[in-house]
Amino acid sequence: MEGRIIVITSGKGGVGKTTATASIGAALAMEGRRVAVVDMDIGLRNLDVMMGLENRIVFNIVDAVHGRCQLRQAAIRDRRIKNLFLIPASQSDNKNVLTPDDMIRFSKKLRSEFDFVFMDCPAGIEQGFENSVAGANDAVVICTPEVASVRDADRVIGLLYARSITPRLVINRIVPDMVANGDMLSHDDVLDVLSIELIGLVEMDDRVVIATNTGTPLVMQKGSAAGEAFQRIAKRLNGQHDLPIIVPSASKSIWKTIGTKFGIRR
Amino acid sequence: MINGFFRRLMRSSKGGSKNVAKKRLKFALIYDRLEVSDDTLNNLNRDIIEVISRYFEIDKKAFKLDICRYDDVSALVVNTPIIATKHKKRAKSKKAK
Ligand SMILES: Nc1ncnc2c1ncn2[C@@H]1O[C@H](COP(=O)(O)OP(=O)(O)O)[C@@H](O)[C@H]1O
Ligand SMILES: [Mg+2]
Repeated sequence: MEGRIIVITSGKGGVGKTTATASIGAALAMEGRRVAVVDMDIGLRNLDVMMGLENRIVFNIVDAVHGRCQLRQAAIRDRRIKNLFLIPASQSDNKNVLTPDDMIRFSKKLRSEFDFVFMDCPAGIEQGFENSVAGANDAVVICTPEVASVRDADRVIGLLYARSITPRLVINRIVPDMVANGDMLSHDDVLDVLSIELIGLVEMDDRVVIATNTGTPLVMQKGSAAGEAFQRIAKRLNGQHDLPIIVPSASKSIWKTIGTKFGIRR
Repeated sequence: MINGFFRRLMRSSKGGSKNVAKKRLKFALIYDRLEVSDDTLNNLNRDIIEVISRYFEIDKKAFKLDICRYDDVSALVVNTPIIATKHKKRAKSKKAK
């Protein structure tokens, strides 16, 4: 069966695209799927460090796309999680060394090699965005509950619809106490203004920083609220459409869930 | 506890900063979604002149098309001096030639 390519994007930088790519990718691999995460931020690579694989890079995406190496040579196998692979960005190239046409061609190879491919999109809506979206079947848009981030998400959602991609939304860095106090937009507020289906809610979690410090996948850390949220997002992407979305709540004992039913997509 | 109590008191009077955020967000999105590129505006300008010209003789140079923004609505304002009304029959016979 052909794999699916999912672009993780946001418009705005620093909202959690790379964190989400690494975490959802690792979680899906732990579910037994063959997964590649691709760093599309040419010139500013990041995903390798987040995953603790920075010392094992030999080839990168530009080498693979331009045929300087085989896809399998550019895909670094994660030794901790079976079936998880990283295709790193090149650090020395300019964003324009890849084109959307290159990526559409390369996507065919990716789909035949992996069940799931996650494109970690760079910030912005220029060439890097175009390249990340070109070969994608699906999109996950990440935003935080802040005005600038939601606004940028709206822009990106419009651009994805224009390419016949129906994106789904992850709201990241939710601080339940602030939501309860009326000092942070709730997920309902965000969904009120964006026309998009929700696929997960991720709270602010110190473990994210700890995981990036050590380069350990967040989803391998026991008791990380954000890690668990990303795991549930991975399960939904893997076909468990009925899995309820848990709303991060101020007191950990009272998990509120919204009984959202998910339709089967594409 | 007391801190929380005061915050709740503040919230009931002011409504919490998130309400401000939501209002600003809504307006920002309305503006963003209504943003019209020069290309679109030029094409619209051309098309409207074409349609109106089927019914009226107008002063094309004085024709004006604007997008006006008010607090929560946007309006497309078309302003054109009419020189004469065209009669349907005449318009048709012209076409037939
Ligand atoms: N749920 C979270 N809780 C705490 N910190 C987070 C969370 N998600 C992301 N971060 C932090 O936010 C910063 C930006 O995240 P990153 O994934 O690099 O964003 P992007 O790829 O969109 O630029 C990082 O320092 C990361 O550790
Ligand atoms: Mg990033």
